[in-house]
Amino acid sequence: MASETNGEVTPAVAGSPWRLAWRRLRRNGVALAFLGLFGLIVVFCLAAPLWASEVAHTGPNKSHTLKKLHVGGEEREVVNREGKPIGPQWLEAGGRFFLGADGRLGRDEMVRLMYGGRTSLAIGFAAAALTTILGTLLGLLAGYYGGWSDTLISRVMDVIWAFPVTLLAISLGLALAVGGLQIGPLQLSGSSVWITILIIGGVYVPYMARPIRGEVLALREKEFVEAAEAQGAAPARIMLKELLPNLSSTIIVFFALNVANAMLLEALLSFLGVGVQPPNGSWGTMLSSGLDLLSSAPMLTYLPGTMILLTVLAVNVFADGLRDAFDPKSRLRIEAHSGLSAAESIEGIAP
Amino acid sequence: MRKLGLVLLVLGLVATSALGLSACGGSSSGKEGGMLVGTYASFPSYLDPALSYEVEGWTAMYDTYLPLLTYAHANGGAGSKVVPALAESMPKISNGGKTYTLTLRKGLEYSDGTPVRASDFKSSIERMFKLNSAGSGFYEGIVGAEKFAETKAGGIPGIKTNDKTGRIEIDLAAPRGTFSNELAMLYAAVLPSGTPAKNMTNDPPPATGPYMITKVEAGRSWSYARNPHWAKSNSQISEVPSGHVDKIEIKVVSNDSTQVNEIERGKADWMQTPISADLYNKVKDRYEGTQFRVERPINFYLFWMNTERPPFDDLKVRQAVNYAIDPAALERIYAGSLVAMHQILPEGMPGHEPFNLYPHNMVKAKQLIEEANPSDRNVTVWTDNESPNDEAGAYYEGVLNELGFNAKLKTINGEGYYPLVGNESTPDLDTGWLAFYEDYPHPNDFLQLLFSGESIAPTSNTNFSRFDDPKVTAKIKQLDEEPLGAKQESEYAALDKEIMEQAPIAPYGTNTVSTFVSSAVNLDGVVFNPTFGQDLTSFEFK
Repeated sequence: MASETNGEVTPAVAGSPWRLAWRRLRRNGVALAFLGLFGLIVVFCLAAPLWASEVAHTGPNKSHTLKKLHVGGEEREVVNREGKPIGPQWLEAGGRFFLGADGRLGRDEMVRLMYGGRTSLAIGFAAAALTTILGTLLGLLAGYYGGWSDTLISRVMDVIWAFPVTLLAISLGLALAVGGLQIGPLQLSGSSVWITILIIGGVYVPYMARPIRGEVLALREKEFVEAAEAQGAAPARIMLKELLPNLSSTIIVFFALNVANAMLLEALLSFLGVGVQPPNGSWGTMLSSGLDLLSSAPMLTYLPGTMILLTVLAVNVFADGLRDAFDPKSRLRIEAHSGLSAAESIEGIAP
Repeated sequence: MRKLGLVLLVLGLVATSALGLSACGGSSSGKEGGMLVGTYASFPSYLDPALSYEVEGWTAMYDTYLPLLTYAHANGGAGSKVVPALAESMPKISNGGKTYTLTLRKGLEYSDGTPVRASDFKSSIERMFKLNSAGSGFYEGIVGAEKFAETKAGGIPGIKTNDKTGRIEIDLAAPRGTFSNELAMLYAAVLPSGTPAKNMTNDPPPATGPYMITKVEAGRSWSYARNPHWAKSNSQISEVPSGHVDKIEIKVVSNDSTQVNEIERGKADWMQTPISADLYNKVKDRYEGTQFRVERPINFYLFWMNTERPPFDDLKVRQAVNYAIDPAALERIYAGSLVAMHQILPEGMPGHEPFNLYPHNMVKAKQLIEEANPSDRNVTVWTDNESPNDEAGAYYEGVLNELGFNAKLKTINGEGYYPLVGNESTPDLDTGWLAFYEDYPHPNDFLQLLFSGESIAPTSNTNFSRFDDPKVTAKIKQLDEEPLGAKQESEYAALDKEIMEQAPIAPYGTNTVSTFVSSAVNLDGVVFNPTFGQDLTSFEFK
């Protein structure tokens, strides 16, 4: 098969949908550039222990309030008598306090930024994975079985959806921050990052489950599903072998967007004091503590803020590229099935 | 020679009047009248004297609603003195310290012209109980008050009044050395008898002080004008100044950097909010002495240790923590606003005698931990999320980890912090941060609440260390029954040391606040009362 454009004949494109998607993605230079940026950020964060032990010689929570640095024969206080933290030392102090100290506790800002990024990324990915798994599972069950299963799952999703996502997350964060969470053998202390992951992962589930359910409702009417049923395939097999592969592109795109949303919500919750609990750092907690020193050390706010901006931007632009690569029409399809606007269903999962 | 004598006489008179003025806390050299514009970071929880339990509200109502007694309108230690306000003189104490008799001044009027009656005092105290005010605990010692608190009916038989003579007799169930201080609290301010038993923040009752609240926009602003009946009827209360400005406008500006900015530009004349650590030194360096002054309210900051459970049930562990805390580090964390101190009674509190049993010594601290060898090293450190208290908590967590504990920090929203750590059902109440401000300048206010075994309660507990030494409890009780004098002050000082030898807490300092005014205001004239904060009657324009 060949296609003709402006009189030129181009060879037929052969291969699996994955290969087609990869070819389209390779042609999207902007998406790849932002993927590269995201990769750099991940490497930066993964290098935290190396930087902390080999260069900064301190941990992320180690306080140095009364410490003095000796730089070129000069003695510099990490925190001066007026409580002002030292500014960036770059390489003057051998990499110690490269970006200065984080506040009146005199912790190394660079080390905390790297470790904080690990926490933010870990929460982003783990929460997105949780949302994706639960959203896909519930969407599949509701869409495929229909009837009371669909009614039950959809109404539960509606109840969660009825709450503004930020408000719900803040309420859960406040409630669980003190006593933690205990469900059967599962026991989490209030300061555990898993609490934040569960909250963020949980509140976004309806925003994924409903579009997935919509797609499944359409797919289950297709001939290949009827054929599998006629051959006596069990429902679980149909869902796993027939429906799930057809949902994969949507799931991948959603996962990437979920990562960006989860990171933003983590930053917000931590900023408000109900996410990652001190002294552990995340970019959100660093943003919050930096705000106290906004007029005397504005960099302490700008640095984590910039990291959040760059990471979320990189993930969002790449996810956009992924969506275009997998199926340029996906926006319209999901819109038709979920009854949501494209902006709600794909680009902005949050309400 | 006669000329010289006259000159000396004039100089003597000038010196005497200058001394008199400085004793009142400020020097008056400005002009009368004008409108003062002040800013608060947040609207006070209440503008109702029976309900307010925070310095923001007390500052706002110090010159508006007068009790029978009040605190001298003066700076520092002089401001801790209880003086008569609506009462003619200080109470006559009889019946072994159980009966307080006062007489209302004659001819007093509220700002609406209604005469002030002795029975208004009784109805005001009863109103406070009807409102379940946080302050009612201070007056439960009055005969019949506890029953009235439950039933809200039948009146308080322990208060007898006579409107004709103005006589007020208060019977206490047991002697209480702090009762004069409690009569000077805003809770005991006298309001007209018919004042509804509901929060009157939005509809302020008539005032007895030199100023009255004229308009309230809840959450945003409130205004004062001169009480029209003050000059005619109430200015006989010489202990309360008449004030310089004619009007006062207070607005809420939540951002303290905006507050500072408005003062610098002359758009506001005073900010009630203490300047945040971030701006503190910048403002101090630029304006100290001309527009900025450091004030010393009576408070102390500490880390409490739960003496009922391991590892802090071991004296050596508690002493080790005291040695390990470095006040120099905490002074930096508080950006210079904290004055290091390692005892319970701070400067300005009667009974304060400086000492330090635990000068910073990490080697000694580690040695004590080694000797104690606590089996349970998992410790939860509680703190609130307000800066820099959260950083003090993080610092403390680091210190405990350095001593070999496995400390975990738990940071709680500031508003919910005290109820949470004061509730015994809260898990892992091992140790934590605390700031303690006086209700009134009497050592019992600190010692009774924090260290008496009688203060240990399942909820709303104030003895956070759960420190229960029968000898200390008995001594606190005995001193509570005696009026405060030189003997009692020295006994309180000894008790301070005795408690610190058992180290149920690790105190680390007393926090200062600031007075920051515009260039148009005479800073020298501004009075800062350690209990009530800035005195609105003292503000005057240059």
